[in-house]
Amino acid sequence: MNTNRVFQPVATSPGPLQKIHVIQGEYHVASDPNVMLTTVLGSCVSTCLFDPVAGVGGMNHFLLAEQTGRGSEDAMRYGAYAMEMLINGMLKRGARRERFQAKLFGGARMMAGLSDVGADNARFALKFIEDEGIVLTGHSLGGTAARRVEFWPASGRARQRLNAVEEPPPPPIQKAPNKVDLGEVELF
Amino acid sequence: MPAANALKVLVVDDQLTMRALVRSGLQQIGVTQIQEAADGEDALRMAVDRPVNLILSDYNMPKLDGLGLLRAVRTYGPTSKVAFIMLTGRADTDLVKRAAQFGVNNYLVKPFTVQGLRGKIEQVFGALT
Repeated sequence: MNTNRVFQPVATSPGPLQKIHVIQGEYHVASDPNVMLTTVLGSCVSTCLFDPVAGVGGMNHFLLAEQTGRGSEDAMRYGAYAMEMLINGMLKRGARRERFQAKLFGGARMMAGLSDVGADNARFALKFIEDEGIVLTGHSLGGTAARRVEFWPASGRARQRLNAVEEPPPPPIQKAPNKVDLGEVELF
Repeated sequence: MPAANALKVLVVDDQLTMRALVRSGLQQIGVTQIQEAADGEDALRMAVDRPVNLILSDYNMPKLDGLGLLRAVRTYGPTSKVAFIMLTGRADTDLVKRAAQFGVNNYLVKPFTVQGLRGKIEQVFGALT
């Protein structure tokens, strides 16, 4: 899953910019045009919600635990709770659910060979937004690079920078030499 | 010991995802008679029209929130004895105190596990079979 869209850079607002870092497991809601919410994502997912009428926006940052079977429902309950916290925070600031617009970021596959927890996170977030009837106005999910996301809650604008290079291809396998010179090694 | 499949439960939450997860948790502990409502007003209508044994309700909801629903349920005769478990967030200690004043039977902190859900229900009804 890597259906990226381009997000336009944002014109700077008058006044000093206040950067607020949203770390994993947290969320932040604001309506101040001088506030910018930012986070760095690997396999985690961040939801940026915006109400264009109220001029209120918020960002969360969550990671579903890597679990299978019934344990995955525990993970989904955690994800649903993370989304609920953000939604409730928006409602408390005067936003209305029916006006919500969402942008989703993250869900990268950061380590080859392990189960793709990033894809699970992205799938959950997309399904949540669809099931709850929230308008999805943009998303950048999947891939193998970490993302720095910046979100201006008062305007709903967002941009991202890919932080890491794509995983390099594995080096070619070299044939082992038939005879290895160990040098002078004293064994005892 | 009440049979889980004899319990009639009304799940109230404005998030469809959370309702589905609560329903799934209830089904895993043997509850089969489950109704859902997306806000307090609908829940009140449903509790009056189709009586239930237990209301499992979120707090933050449009129209009528969880506390409003609890107060309405407790003040209306036919529903006043219905067991009521409030679903709360981790930081909602004030809410729990207020809910206790209005006669809530128990509370369950989100995100919860199925064992946690079962434990809270059993504290109200006794061990489920």
